[in-house]
Amino acid sequence: MTLRNAFGVLLAGGLALAMLPWLLSDFLLALALSCLMYAGLAVSWSMFCGATNYLSLATAAFFGLGAYVTAWGAGALPYGLSVLAGGLVAAGFAALVCAAVLHLRGAYFAVITFGLGELVRHSITYYEKAYEGTVGRIIAEAPESTTVYWMVLLVSTAAVATALAVRASRLGLALRGIGSDEERAQTLGVNARRSKILAFALSAFFAGALGAAMAVRWTYIDPPTVFNPFIGFQTVLIAMVGGAQTILGPIVSAVVFSLLTEFLRLQFPYLFLVILGLLLILLVLYLPGGIASLFVRWRWRRGNA
Amino acid sequence: MSLWFELAVSGLITGGIYAVVAIGLNLQYGLMRILNISHGEFLMVGAYLTWLGYTVLQVNPLVFLPVVALALFVAGVAVYRLCFYRIVSTAPAVEVIEARSLLVGFGLLYLVQNLAYLTWGADLRGYSFLAEPLEIAGARFNLNRVVVFGFAVAASLALLAVLRFTLIGKAVRAMMQSPTGAQLVGIDTKVLHPVVFGAGLALAGVAGALLSMIYEISPAMGEPYTVTALIVIVLGGLGSALGSLLGGFLLGVVETFGMHFTSPSLKMVLSYGVLIAVLLARPKGLFAR
Repeated sequence: MTLRNAFGVLLAGGLALAMLPWLLSDFLLALALSCLMYAGLAVSWSMFCGATNYLSLATAAFFGLGAYVTAWGAGALPYGLSVLAGGLVAAGFAALVCAAVLHLRGAYFAVITFGLGELVRHSITYYEKAYEGTVGRIIAEAPESTTVYWMVLLVSTAAVATALAVRASRLGLALRGIGSDEERAQTLGVNARRSKILAFALSAFFAGALGAAMAVRWTYIDPPTVFNPFIGFQTVLIAMVGGAQTILGPIVSAVVFSLLTEFLRLQFPYLFLVILGLLLILLVLYLPGGIASLFVRWRWRRGNA
Repeated sequence: MSLWFELAVSGLITGGIYAVVAIGLNLQYGLMRILNISHGEFLMVGAYLTWLGYTVLQVNPLVFLPVVALALFVAGVAVYRLCFYRIVSTAPAVEVIEARSLLVGFGLLYLVQNLAYLTWGADLRGYSFLAEPLEIAGARFNLNRVVVFGFAVAASLALLAVLRFTLIGKAVRAMMQSPTGAQLVGIDTKVLHPVVFGAGLALAGVAGALLSMIYEISPAMGEPYTVTALIVIVLGGLGSALGSLLGGFLLGVVETFGMHFTSPSLKMVLSYGVLIAVLLARPKGLFAR
C-alpha cells in the first residue's frame, strides 16, 4: 500500500468512526473510546520503541503529565488547547529525559523509564500535598462525552498518520537502522542521538495529548489514577502482542484487547485477570510475532496458492 | 548518637531483605536474560505459605523456611519448563528473550496475584512472632527484626559462597560471562537454567517468609519489592550477586535516613532519585570496573 492510499484509508476510517456517537449507546461509545485510546497509545509507543527496539515503560508518565496539565489548566484553558498543551509538556519532558538516559539500552532503559514515571508521580503527589494541600483535583466543567470522543479520535488518528509519515521518511529509516544495529547506523552517518530524541518526543506528544484528552472523563484526578503503571504496561502489551514493527498490528490488537478485557470483566468478574494473564502467556509462547504475523502468514499463503 | 545507630541498623535490616529479593532476580537476569517482573508475586506466595504454616499447622516460621524454599524451587523449575524454556530455545536474539520474557512475566504477575486474591481475599493478614524487644547498645529493636536480618544476610552469604566455591557455582559464573563458551567446555545448559531459575524463586520465597514475620501481608505486597529489586540490581550491576548485596544495603540505609530527615511519603522519590543519579553517573552500576 502506498503512503497516499494509506492516508486515504485512514481518513475514511476516521470519518466513519466520527459517526459512531449517533449510532451507538452510551456504553458502547465508552467501549469505543477505550479502544481508540489504547490504539493511539500503542501506535505512538511502537512509533519509537517498535522501530528502535528500545523498551520504554514511560507511557504512564507521559499520559499522567498530560492529564495533570488538563487538571491544572481547568477553567483557564479551553479543552482543545489543554490537550495541545498536555502533549507539548509531555514531549518536552520526554526530550529532556531522552537526552539524559538514551545512552542506556535494554533492561537498563526499561527500568529507568519506569523509574522516571514513578518519580514524576511521587513528586507530583508530594508537591500537591505539601504546597496545595490536596491529594487530588476535581474537574468541575467537563465537556460532553461526545466531544471527548471526537477529541480522542482526532488525537489517535493524528498518531496513526504521524506513524505512517515517520515510517516513510528518512527519520523512520534512521530509527529502523538504530533498531537493527545502532553502531553500524552511526557509522553510516545516522545522527542516532538526534533521531532518538526527536522520535521519543514525538511519541510522548501523543501519549500526553491522550492523557490530557481523557482526563476530563474522570471528574476526580489523583496521581494513582492517571499515573497508573498499568496504563503503560497495557500499552506495551497491546503493541507487542499486535506486533510492534507494524502499524496495523497495534490497532487491531488494541481493539481486540479492549473488547476482550471488557467481555471477560463482565462474564468473569473475579477470574478475569487470571484468564487475561494466562492468555497473554499463551500468546507470547505460541504467537511470538504478534497478531501482525498472522496477516503476513496469510498473505504469504495466498501468494503461494 | 543512638538515633544514628538506630537508623543505620533499621536501614541495614530493610536492606538485607532487599538484597535477598534482588539476588534472586539478578541470577535469573544475569544467566538467562529473563527479566522476571513477577518475581515479587512469588515473594508474596512465600509469605502466604509461611502464614498458613504458622496459623493452620502451627509450625515455627523459621523451621518452615526450608519447606517454603523447596516449594518455591519446585514451582520455579515448573514455571521455567512451562514458560521460559520455549522462549529461551526459540528466540533468535538476546533482546528478543528480554522482551518476550518481560511479557510472560506480566502474564504471570496477573495470574499469580489474582489467584491469591481469589484464594485469600484482599485483607491484610499477619501473625505475631518473636515480637519482644531487644536492647543492643542502648537502642531497642524487636527481636524478630534482628532474626530476620540474620537470616537474610546468611542466605545472601550462603549463595555468594556457593557461587564462589562450588563447581556448580563456577558453572553459573561461567555462563554469566559467556553462554556459548560455557557450552563449549561442557556445561549443561538444560540442567543449569531451570535450577538457577528455581533458586531465584526460592530466594524470593525466603524473602517473603522473612517479611511475613515482621509485616502484614496482602496479595499486592509483591509489586513494590519487584520494583525495589530492579533498582537494586541496576545499582549493583546486572549479573553481580555481591553488587546486589551491597546495593541492597545501600538502598535500605539511604531510604531509612532519607525518610527520617525528610518525609516518609518521599520514600519512592528517594529510591528513584538514587537510581537515576547512579545510572547517569555510572551506567554500568556502582561497582562496575
